[in-house]
Amino acid sequence: MTTPLVLGVLAGAVLSGTSLLYATLGETIVERSGIVNLGLEGILLIGASVGFSVAAASGSAWLGLAAAAAAGGLGNLLFGWLVVTRKANQLASGLAMMFFGFGVSALVGAPYVGAVIVGLPKWRPSWLDGLPWVRSTTLFNYDLLTWLAVPVAILVWWALFRTRWGLGVRAVGESPAAAFAAGRNPAVLQYQALSSGGVLGGLAGAHLSLSLTLTWAEYMTAGRGFIAIALVIFSKWHPLRAIAGALLFGGAEALQLQLQARGSDISPFLLEMAPYLLTILVLLAWGGSRRLAAPASLGRTFYGSD
Amino acid sequence: MRNKLGFIIGFFVLVFCLAVKPAFADSPRLIIGAVYVGSVNDYGYNRSFHDALTQVARELPGVKLLEAENVPESTEAERVMEGLVQQGAKLIFPTSFGYSDSARKVAKRHRDVCFEYAGDGDTAKNFGVFFGSTQAAWYPMGVAAGKMTKSNKLGFVIGLPIGYALGNVNAFQMGARSVNPKAQTVVVVTGGWSDKAKEAGAANALLDQGCDVVGMHVDSPATIIQTVEARGGMSIGFQSIEARALAPKGWITGLGFTWAPFFKDVAISVMAGKFSAQAVYQGLGQMVAIAPFGASVPAEVQGLVNAAVTKVASGFNPFTGPLKNNLGNTVLPPGASVGADQMGNMNWYVDGVIGKVR
Repeated sequence: MTTPLVLGVLAGAVLSGTSLLYATLGETIVERSGIVNLGLEGILLIGASVGFSVAAASGSAWLGLAAAAAAGGLGNLLFGWLVVTRKANQLASGLAMMFFGFGVSALVGAPYVGAVIVGLPKWRPSWLDGLPWVRSTTLFNYDLLTWLAVPVAILVWWALFRTRWGLGVRAVGESPAAAFAAGRNPAVLQYQALSSGGVLGGLAGAHLSLSLTLTWAEYMTAGRGFIAIALVIFSKWHPLRAIAGALLFGGAEALQLQLQARGSDISPFLLEMAPYLLTILVLLAWGGSRRLAAPASLGRTFYGSD
Repeated sequence: MRNKLGFIIGFFVLVFCLAVKPAFADSPRLIIGAVYVGSVNDYGYNRSFHDALTQVARELPGVKLLEAENVPESTEAERVMEGLVQQGAKLIFPTSFGYSDSARKVAKRHRDVCFEYAGDGDTAKNFGVFFGSTQAAWYPMGVAAGKMTKSNKLGFVIGLPIGYALGNVNAFQMGARSVNPKAQTVVVVTGGWSDKAKEAGAANALLDQGCDVVGMHVDSPATIIQTVEARGGMSIGFQSIEARALAPKGWITGLGFTWAPFFKDVAISVMAGKFSAQAVYQGLGQMVAIAPFGASVPAEVQGLVNAAVTKVASGFNPFTGPLKNNLGNTVLPPGASVGADQMGNMNWYVDGVIGKVR
């Protein structure tokens, strides 16, 4: 009797976890380079809005996806210009970027509210269709973004921890002065981290509008950008742990909806709190750990090496 | 140089005259201001008001419509309404429930401007309240769902468990039970009127747990209807009857608001200087209409639904005792009933609804 519940929660966790994972991976790269982008929510909104608008105007969800990725990257480059080139305060700039994202996304999306689009196509391998439980849920019936979510997480891990570029990014995040002395250019690396993180953020937003909901509505991300920022801490700045984090948080949301759909006796208001309760518990449990601490120069502005 | 400056100034004066002249030329007899909480293209609540007011402006000569979309339910709404008054609006429609305080404040400051607020509460000399009573109208929707379902499990997504939403769910379940004794309605609360990703998740959860017909009470039905359609389920729409375009295969029928006749009467009374503020609540056949049936609905089912529509439109109130809630307690003794004006206080689910109020 609990099988449909477990399958339903799994299915829901994957669906709502996809955008969380892309957003978390993007923010992880950015924070590894020593920059906190509190404007992630805005980047997600820009991705969702630009993706939907382009898809509605052109009739192609793929074009929308490409435009969302580009818009996310550009948004983060603008943020980079503020905090890397102009050396503005990261927290204040991030919040400004968030409100900028609210406005831009509303403006871009306004003509396309209520437009009907054909979303990203979904595939399920035919041999999985035979399983009786699978067919009655959304399990394994995924669009490209969902199928690629875990491979992308592995790619980000490889890039950060197994390449010279990743070493440079992490070095800048720990100590830009040391990286500079070793012949790396902190500004260039931070711009690279920001643009790739922005692309992932744009894709995260696009998954919401182009696949999950097939609509654009103002502020439709409803705080998912901030959950992703919390997930970066939850996963301790590690792309592979982010997979588990995104599934867990996506699962918490799915669980409360599935429990209601099964007629559970638990109060919907209590269930509503579950994801946030989880965040607090994790921060409590791992908050002080030295080994899993943030990049040492996170949030600090590098003024150059004299 | 001076010549050039004079030329530029002259140019701007000319542009100004051209821009302003038409406004003087046909100054409207009545300017209507409308304030919406969302976008008018939402296939839902806001579109229903926009469609009705556009129709009024088209049908009544000399009526001009000023619209403000996406206005939050905060002091921002007060500012927007002040702006509409400054632009000459003499009749204002604050169309969201949360505009109550702002609208009442602005109405107190401008006694010469009439307000029609979509909600409840007190009326004042220049402040009328109105709303469509959808609850009883959901009864025929339940009849449709009860006949169309194969699993006997109906799903219902609501934003928040307020009395009006519970009333919709309850009438839906009673309608379904009237034609299908095995019918149950499963309720999922998303926690907000417009959280799209959660609405998609809620629709998926209902289908995962075996429901095959989904109804909803959220601002825009678009996400839920499209999610259900993509998975081969059936849906019953709400807010705007245009939502049927989103589900060519799974659409059964739906409810939409038809405000135009009431709005037209109000506009005429304001122009004649005879506005009288009242609390107007109208149901099926007046402010509420049912949408056309989907292609998959057999004639027999359509006949049953239409019979139920006639029954409700001629005064049948499903909320009449004896009624038990879904915990087995009697909530309405024989003969007692809940009228449309007390619907906001409803705090129980009727027998057969799977869900918890709080």
